[in-house]
Amino acid sequence: MSWMKLTGYADKFGVHPGDTIKFYVNCDGPDKFDAQLVKMIHGDTNPRGPGVIEHDLDASFNGSHKGMKQVIHSGSYGFVEDKPQFRVNSFTIQCWVWPTTPKTHPKYWKHGAQGLVTKWHNGNGYGIFINEEGCAELRVNGEKLTTSAPLRDHAWHFLAATFDANTGEAILYHEPQVVYALDPEVPPVKATIKENIKHDGSPVVIAGYTGEHSNDAVAASSVPAGIVISGHYNGKIDSPRICDRALSRAEIETMKLGAQRGLTERRNAGPTGELSKCIVAAWDFSDGINTIVGKDHGPYVFDAQIVNCPTRAMTGHNFTGQNFDWKHAPQEYGAIHFHDDDVDDARWQVSFEWEVPENYESDSYCAKLTTPDGDEDYIPFWVVPRVGQEQAKIAVMIPTISYMAYANEHLANNAGGAELLVYRVPIMQHQNMFLAEHREYGGSIYDTHTDGSGLCLSSRLRPILSIRPQYDHFLMQAPWQYPADLHLIYWLNQMGYKYDVITDEDVNYDGLARIENYNVIITGSHPEHNSGPQLDALHDYTQRGGRLMYMGADAWYWVHSYHPAYDDLGRGIVTEMRRCESGIRTWRADPGEYYHQGTGELGGMWRYRGRYLHSVAGTGMSSEGFDISSYYSRTPESNDPRVAWAFEGIEYDEKLGNFGLVGGGAAGTELDIVDTMLGSPPHTLVVATSAGRHTEGYLLVMEDFGFNQQGLDGTQHPRVRSDIAYHETPNGGACFAFSSIAFCGSLPWNNGDNNISKLVGNVLDRFSQDGPLPDAPKDSIIHRGRADYDPPMNKQRK
Amino acid sequence: MIRIPPKGSNERGRLIAEHKACIESMHGVPGCTILRCGTPGDTTEVSGGIHEDIVLNRVLLRMRAQPAKGKLLVICTKVEKEWRIGRASGIRGVPPEFVTDKVYDNEQDPQHDIFLMRLDEFSETDGYPEHFHEGWKRRDDGWAAS
Repeated sequence: MSWMKLTGYADKFGVHPGDTIKFYVNCDGPDKFDAQLVKMIHGDTNPRGPGVIEHDLDASFNGSHKGMKQVIHSGSYGFVEDKPQFRVNSFTIQCWVWPTTPKTHPKYWKHGAQGLVTKWHNGNGYGIFINEEGCAELRVNGEKLTTSAPLRDHAWHFLAATFDANTGEAILYHEPQVVYALDPEVPPVKATIKENIKHDGSPVVIAGYTGEHSNDAVAASSVPAGIVISGHYNGKIDSPRICDRALSRAEIETMKLGAQRGLTERRNAGPTGELSKCIVAAWDFSDGINTIVGKDHGPYVFDAQIVNCPTRAMTGHNFTGQNFDWKHAPQEYGAIHFHDDDVDDARWQVSFEWEVPENYESDSYCAKLTTPDGDEDYIPFWVVPRVGQEQAKIAVMIPTISYMAYANEHLANNAGGAELLVYRVPIMQHQNMFLAEHREYGGSIYDTHTDGSGLCLSSRLRPILSIRPQYDHFLMQAPWQYPADLHLIYWLNQMGYKYDVITDEDVNYDGLARIENYNVIITGSHPEHNSGPQLDALHDYTQRGGRLMYMGADAWYWVHSYHPAYDDLGRGIVTEMRRCESGIRTWRADPGEYYHQGTGELGGMWRYRGRYLHSVAGTGMSSEGFDISSYYSRTPESNDPRVAWAFEGIEYDEKLGNFGLVGGGAAGTELDIVDTMLGSPPHTLVVATSAGRHTEGYLLVMEDFGFNQQGLDGTQHPRVRSDIAYHETPNGGACFAFSSIAFCGSLPWNNGDNNISKLVGNVLDRFSQDGPLPDAPKDSIIHRGRADYDPPMNKQRK
Repeated sequence: MIRIPPKGSNERGRLIAEHKACIESMHGVPGCTILRCGTPGDTTEVSGGIHEDIVLNRVLLRMRAQPAKGKLLVICTKVEKEWRIGRASGIRGVPPEFVTDKVYDNEQDPQHDIFLMRLDEFSETDGYPEHFHEGWKRRDDGWAAS
């Protein structure tokens, strides 16, 4: 059964009035589908809330469209189009490999032979492969030669294959780099193949082979168009070479050094001039790590186009463990890790487009897709005013990098331990079931690839089925990220606020200019993933008098960067993140693989780049749990005249937020606290806290302890809590941190008539006013040390 | 390790009753845990369940820690209306399959039926040396437990 017949994406997350946004739709079955522009107000189906709210709007694309099946050709590879020099009679192919799935389960989604270095298609050509049994294999046309020795997974092997057309002699070498005591010897295997290599127009493919040449419409989205690559390889390839004659083993050894052009007595070491004459291509993946080009250092400069953005800046076969930054020892980073589920761009045909009218209202929209059969999908996007043409004093910063990080996650059914995290059995929706079958839609940065390695790159040019209204995430059995942020959008509409929406990439690319004309910036519920330029802009903004309402928790956590190789396709196409030495990590980067391939910056937590989470808006993540949520109580600091205005209309003893659409309370899922030792400004006020109210399912974050021990859960540990906090910034600015991802889920409760709504309304009314905020009382201007808060010096505030 | 209470034992009966009471109290909560809501559907005050029954707590943890292959899970077949029980394949690209025909009208009740199914599927001595297999020698990427 097909769980979704309609899927789609747009070429932009944020579109300016006057610009055109393109939509790409897969309609797998029905002849046609309907499209309708809707303003997306609320996307939570929970019957205890206001329900789904969307308003139909006029748009040129509204109406019926011809349906067309479109597929994603996932799986990364490099290719060079057919060239006369590749049409060899004899050859030597060699490379290092570190395979991750040399042998797959018969039901594995891409079970079968994997291409390593091939110019082979349908029984014509040549190449080296890993066959279905996990053994190295040489192919000459339809003839195959294998060692019958399975390659050990997650281990370096040197492979070489020679074929001499004159004698027909073929030799295949498989030399494991590490040999254990009881490993059988793997001698070279030889055969006589009485064949002349038959060549066709297929490209040379690295990490795959040519599956078919096709005029079918679905093949148009392959690269190169009309040539569908098959046999995607999972694992690393380092230093592939093709030579046009059968080399001796000694010559092969020399050829490991690669092309050394311009050899003189004073420079280079490697193949002699005589030996070099046979080089057809000698790729060096340590050159151009931040690109999507595989550089050929050979005489013909057959640079390979790298498709679907595999992981680069990966340690090669010669990694020494002395340098951990690829920029300082690129020669040790000559490996690319290819995955059969990598995807950088679905490359679908445009189904319809829309020129957004000038002055169109900035807000949250969707192209709603339906068929008469009941199929449905939504493509969310945001209309973002141009800088200088702001429409409101309030801006909601849509956390699109975080949406991309969570895009199409597979945890509920792939991660066995996910159930320990959520403390109940996960629930999958139809989007999850579709994705479980259609791995070509790619995963999230929380997932591991289909080969089990960490997934560190995410593209937005594909249907992202987790960024959908009416989508409950397994983590909370409730909305998460996009649909959870619609709780906030609903509340702003319900309360009658006029607001603009901007996205993470707008702030990343436009910097302070994007936000400085607003009186207040409101975040989403979980802006966990951020680029450096974005955090710089927020810092500049709050220091210059801007006001920041941090509506969630676990924000400013991971280092992200947009891959510069995709900038020509638009803003923020591919985001990169590496899970390094600490933090909540669903996978962990391997040694030496902490630096981003796109920008070369150190990945991991901002905390370990010297940018404490707590320094951005006052609080930082301390714990997480996903079973149920709780509520807040006010603290005496909420009566401080610096902040008492926020609680007008709220009694001191009220339970704050003991209701809500995420976990049933305002304090839940991931929780932030004030910590002046981790960046919270020393004058931060904790105005409410959920201390003591969380379940055993809530656990202290691992970066806050150095030793495994009992006593880390919500029933015991004092740092498992959420603190609502306030502090002033220079020039009349301020930050209010609500410090819980579940928090926004309480806003719509009782149609927005509740004490969380009251609190947020008080803050927004004050923060959105023109000019600097009123000065703090004079007696609040005092010297404060961070240690002032340590017992017994802790002073009771009046 | 705490043993899985055997079929027919009083202890097993106690765990089942407490689990069921917790699940019933969670009806209407957008989330779920094995605790009793003081007021049904309201998480303001919770008690009992995993916080007060150490055997129930430990048995549930052990069930949750199993690898993905063959693991029972819940599949929502109509948003806000229908749910069924499925089983994960453990193979990338092979989606979970339904394992029963029962259709639930709320998202909490399948949790209890899965608990009952697992009690029957688990050996009393699950996790002890007699269950050793070669897979113990290599972690998989079931991340939270790896």
